[in-house]
Amino acid sequence: MRVVLAEDSTLLREGLVRLLAEEGHEVVDAVADADTLLAVVAHDQPDVVVADVRMPPSHTDEGLRAALEIRKRWPAVGVLVLSQYVEKRYATELLTGDSEGVGYLLKDRVVQVDEFLDALERVAAGRAAFDPEVVRQLLARSNRTDPLSRLTEREREVLAEMAQGHTNTAIGRRLHISVSAVEKHCNAIFEKLEISGTGGYSRRVLAVLRYLNT
Amino acid sequence: MNTAVRRGARLGTGLAIGGSTAVVELAFSLLAGTALLLVRAWPRGRRAVMRPVTAGARRLVDLERHRLRTMLGERVSASYEPTKALWYLATRWALGLFGVVVLLAAVVGVGYGTLFVYAWAITDLKNPDELALGTFGGLFLLFLTSLAFFEIAALEGKLARYFLGPSQQAELERRIEQLAVSRAGVVDLVHDERRRIERDLHDGVQQGLVALGMLLGRARRSSDARHADELLRQAHEQAGHVLNELREVAWRVYPTVLDEAGFRAALETVAERSSVPVKLRCRLASEPPKAAATVAYFVVSESVTNAVKHSGATSIDVRVDEDTRTLRIRVTDDGKGGADSSGSGLFGLARRVEALDGILRVDSPPGGPTTITAEIPCE
Repeated sequence: MRVVLAEDSTLLREGLVRLLAEEGHEVVDAVADADTLLAVVAHDQPDVVVADVRMPPSHTDEGLRAALEIRKRWPAVGVLVLSQYVEKRYATELLTGDSEGVGYLLKDRVVQVDEFLDALERVAAGRAAFDPEVVRQLLARSNRTDPLSRLTEREREVLAEMAQGHTNTAIGRRLHISVSAVEKHCNAIFEKLEISGTGGYSRRVLAVLRYLNT
Repeated sequence: MNTAVRRGARLGTGLAIGGSTAVVELAFSLLAGTALLLVRAWPRGRRAVMRPVTAGARRLVDLERHRLRTMLGERVSASYEPTKALWYLATRWALGLFGVVVLLAAVVGVGYGTLFVYAWAITDLKNPDELALGTFGGLFLLFLTSLAFFEIAALEGKLARYFLGPSQQAELERRIEQLAVSRAGVVDLVHDERRRIERDLHDGVQQGLVALGMLLGRARRSSDARHADELLRQAHEQAGHVLNELREVAWRVYPTVLDEAGFRAALETVAERSSVPVKLRCRLASEPPKAAATVAYFVVSESVTNAVKHSGATSIDVRVDEDTRTLRIRVTDDGKGGADSSGSGLFGLARRVEALDGILRVDSPPGGPTTITAEIPCE
């Protein structure tokens, strides 16, 4: 894959470049601020962008703004956002609109190299990747009169996995149940949450997350 | 004893100057009084007369205010009414002249008190009982006049404040306003500090740990043993960096050495840790109170950090001493100057110092040198 990195910490930027190179990806460019990122993406059209949320000059949410901009202008480019901590607002912003090919990971998740690479692949392929922690926090809001409370424990687990952007096959493997069982759970979930099961997996994920977030 | 003598000398000088200004003021009061009487008789010349009169009065009063502040340690308001200024000048000369009388009495006291020395030197002692009496009388007079010094200084202040302000009410209002401002400053400061700590943790320590984890993750994924070994070596090194970073952050949050080894030791560590040579001179009789010491420490450490980071200085000079319950700090560097006192670091420092009723000044002309001075009361 052709990747563009945006990360202001030299240490992490170098580390990510090396890691991706070792995995056989091509790091087209590695930049340290949002403006340069947009310029580079416009010029190189990579498959996927990895961007830190906090970047100079103000260290607030430049990376996220740039990510949303990229999604709007170049829908073919996947965007994986790395954040220092879970910020529901960011997740919500990434999820509004018909966004596919987005991901939102905690920065610490990079330490789990396999998971990070997996998320990157999914985003590049136009699917979604949400950090388990993000999903956990979004799902934790089920204390109101929430259709979520109607889900069984197992269905919740499946939903959480699904929300992270995993395919049914992967969910089956991760939860140690058959794919057909996963599909059954999925259908039950959609029925209970009144979501029509059309479109790709990521659309379902986004629908679920958006639903949880409103 | 030393400071008492110095203060006494300053008061004496103040009274002497006050005596000579009193002569000027008496002349001015007579002239101004005559001029104003003339204006009463012929009101048409009012404007022509009033302008030089008030201008003259203002000049004299400002001179007095300066004398009161520097010599007698009495603070007087800068915003006073012209008519009040005239009244003040018309009454103050008397007190000024009285001050001279007291000064002369002091001189006489010194003369008599040291009589026996001259007697010893010039003649031989003929009537020792008279001499002893004279000496005792002289010393007693000196004692009385030295008490009067302080009384007159206080009276001078009272008289000036009576005519010129600030009144006790105004003084209280000013104080409350000052406290409200400095309190708001402290609240902001705490907020800023926390934000800085959060950023230090996230942008420094967390990044370092993520990088470390990444190295280990790559090492685990590597199929080439030599490459994995190299990655592990880098990870080991990285762990050391993160620990250093963490220590730095903790240190910036609070230098524990202040509690453990005291103020001077804390300043010495600032000097040791600086990459630019720091010349430290710290003359303190005793350990300053905790609050003052902490703020003073941050003034020195921030100033040194700023100088190292921004000024391109080749040497930094830090002086700390105390003067009548006030901690005085001066940090000078020979760098390129142009330090911005409204910049976040220095601004935060100023608020810290103000919260203790102190003053912080930044003098940093383009081209240098930069001097940061702070005075922190130790009450």
